[in-house]
Amino acid sequence: MAKKIPLKRKYEMMTRGLAWDTTYQDMDDVYPYDKFEGIKIHDWDAWEDPFRLTQDAYWKYQAEKERKLYAVIDSFAQNNGQLGLSDARYLGALKLFLTGVSPLEYQAHRHFAHLARNIRGTGAQVAAQMQSIDELRHAQTQIHAISHYNKYFDGLHDFTHMHDRVWYLSVPKSFFDDAVSAGPFEFFTAISFSFEYVLTNLLFVPFMSGAAYNGDLATVTFGFSAQSDESRHMTLGLEVIKFLLEQDEANVPIIQHWIDKWFWRGHRLLSLVGMMMDYMLPKKIMSWKDAWEMYFEEQGGALFEDLARYGIRPPMHAEQANNEKHRISHEVWAIFYQYTHAAGFHTWDIDDEHKAWLSAEYPDTFDKYYRPRLDLWKQMAADGNRYYNMALPQLCQVCQIPMGFTEPDDPTTICFRSREYQGDRYHFCSDGCQYIFDHEPEKYIQAWLPVHQIFQGNCGGAEIPDVLNWYHLNLGVDNMAYEGSAEEKIWNDWMATRRVGAART
Amino acid sequence: MKRTVTVEPIEETVELADGQTILDACLRAGVWLPHACGHGLCGTCKVEVLDGDVDHGAASPFALMDFEREEGFTLACSATARSDLVIEADIDIDPDAVIRPVRDHVGRVSRLEHLTSDILGIWITVDDGMEFQAGQYLNLTVEGVDGPRAFSFANSPSTTHEVELHVRLVPGGAATPKLHTELSVGDKVRFSGPYGRFFVRRSAEKPMLFLAGGSGLSSPKSMVLDLLETGCAHPITLVHGVRTSADAYFGDLFRSLEAEHPNFRYVPALSQPGETDAGWTGETGFVHEVAERLFDGSFKGMSAYLCGPPPMIEACIRTLMKGRLFERDIFTERFVTAADGESGLSKSPLFKRV
Repeated sequence: MAKKIPLKRKYEMMTRGLAWDTTYQDMDDVYPYDKFEGIKIHDWDAWEDPFRLTQDAYWKYQAEKERKLYAVIDSFAQNNGQLGLSDARYLGALKLFLTGVSPLEYQAHRHFAHLARNIRGTGAQVAAQMQSIDELRHAQTQIHAISHYNKYFDGLHDFTHMHDRVWYLSVPKSFFDDAVSAGPFEFFTAISFSFEYVLTNLLFVPFMSGAAYNGDLATVTFGFSAQSDESRHMTLGLEVIKFLLEQDEANVPIIQHWIDKWFWRGHRLLSLVGMMMDYMLPKKIMSWKDAWEMYFEEQGGALFEDLARYGIRPPMHAEQANNEKHRISHEVWAIFYQYTHAAGFHTWDIDDEHKAWLSAEYPDTFDKYYRPRLDLWKQMAADGNRYYNMALPQLCQVCQIPMGFTEPDDPTTICFRSREYQGDRYHFCSDGCQYIFDHEPEKYIQAWLPVHQIFQGNCGGAEIPDVLNWYHLNLGVDNMAYEGSAEEKIWNDWMATRRVGAART
Repeated sequence: MKRTVTVEPIEETVELADGQTILDACLRAGVWLPHACGHGLCGTCKVEVLDGDVDHGAASPFALMDFEREEGFTLACSATARSDLVIEADIDIDPDAVIRPVRDHVGRVSRLEHLTSDILGIWITVDDGMEFQAGQYLNLTVEGVDGPRAFSFANSPSTTHEVELHVRLVPGGAATPKLHTELSVGDKVRFSGPYGRFFVRRSAEKPMLFLAGGSGLSSPKSMVLDLLETGCAHPITLVHGVRTSADAYFGDLFRSLEAEHPNFRYVPALSQPGETDAGWTGETGFVHEVAERLFDGSFKGMSAYLCGPPPMIEACIRTLMKGRLFERDIFTERFVTAADGESGLSKSPLFKRV
């Protein structure tokens, strides 16, 4: 009897065994995008399939995950699960996550489909195909969550429209636009490796455990369902980086630059998550600082020790990022507090219990730098003069976050960097963003900066109500202080009704 | 009632005791299956049952989905047999692996020799014979010490009735001081084996580089003897890193092998040459530095076998990878003593074996 074919071999026959090299057309014409970045691939067969999942098995897994997920989402909807949230303030974090991240999942779906078509290695094609479908599923489940919360709360009514226009949503949008307009190997390094492997735990773990702590079962469930795919995506990120580094020595400096760039891009994007963790979750899970230490300094540090074997060093601005862990969440919250009248969610004054927690978590910085500002704002609000900043902020040309970050060695001075290019001056929030610009100025001078666009008259008008109208945001309903908002009122009414109901039974 | 499980695609049949899991039976029989958590949660040990009935045991519903149960999959770490079984596991047919069941042995110390100031050579006669692949190890029970200690076979596999072990004295250790001071010729010793997946990949048909540090010479010695005895014609280089020339034990043996076999090169390397080494004309420096010099920094197209303390292994891996030799061509067996701690092990999931 002939020996059975091993599963690995069988998998290879069902995937790369079905591919062929074209002969009527030149392979370089069929795959026009995988050489211009300078990455050298000598042997696509050396690609190790990090997971051996054929399409038929893939669909069965995903079908069962979907059944389990929608059973939970349906029961959440039928049982008015939103009433089990810790507090309506939690929705601020949820709105920012759902409107910021869901469109990125969709972008990821599209671009992995593009890679599946345009990478000439079959193993990588199959992996990209499956990830493309995963990302579509994630976008879909998040849109279902938006759909549910949109029935009861403000600010979620037109997320696709807002994603292309609203000033802070341009932060995640421009991050992904940068990735999808890069070549295929930079995209893999940016998304599969730097984001999904190195930084993903900082996005998913705090957000999903935050949701669990704050009673948001719908989010927890789509989180778990997505995370079961995420481990596959992380493995892909590692395999891609190993494969590229082993294929040719000339790839090493190219990859190093991409790691330097995308680490900093990711770190800036995640400052929004830091704000959610430290300021927007009514029930806290861990501080941004602790999360950064655990997931980047420890786990990321271990990874970069291993990568040193390939001649890769830690990301260029990692030390600055470590240094910023004591401040960025406070700095970003300050930005959103001041500009909440132009956002799609509320901000609020921080109560004493919350301040005590921040003080304990940030003993070196909170009382010294940030508490006085929060105290002042609270007093101003009590005096009927809640602080809104009516001047439009200057934005960083690269990360598009308002210039509110401080100097590496001085948390009291705003960090300004600038560069002149072809007669125009461009501004940056940090050395990291300036480094990124310097490497590809012709790319970043094309950035669609929301504030510049307003001043140029491209955003519906010159006054804030005109711009909000153009954003499809309802001034005073979707945004401004939580205290006194319609959302606070309806939440308190529901909770009061609940208490009456509970007293009756 | 005894049942059997036949493992595809390697067609090995293993006996299962009552209530014994498939994974446990296979590992004990020397049939390696992929596994990780060992208690039904991670799904790494998923196998397809081609014939027969299993009890899934404590397999988690998330690690073994409903549809997988319906389609005949199970988790080897949790499943027990209800009938004779045929399973298919996700294993490669490794053309160089020889499957030998682990057995318990009793032997008698036939010879003791201090090979260097801190390495004791122990020879043990084994009446029932000890078959192994060069590079494998045994687990030796040391009287009065908890848990067995692993030592690589240093003899050629062709010497089946006497095994040779090299035991470095670990200062303050629990077991090695006992072996160094209390063991006598004629003593009865218990051990089990063979263990380990460190063996020469002859099917690769590539030049071979053996990098040994101190008492890490044992496996490479066995491997080199085996290769030369069986007529391997590929270039073989053995670099043995030691402190002083007095530590380069078995130097005479390797020099005579070098004289007999033109494809074999023996390179002892001194890291701390002292006054007694005044006339030394050979290599000096650490193993990885010497290897880099010998091959001009390029290791493309070779396979490398590393054996020694964790810092040496790590330095060698970095040098080899800098010279464009990667995980699939680097093989290593690490023995970590309590004193070594976690150092030298790769810390992230980037690497699986090295």
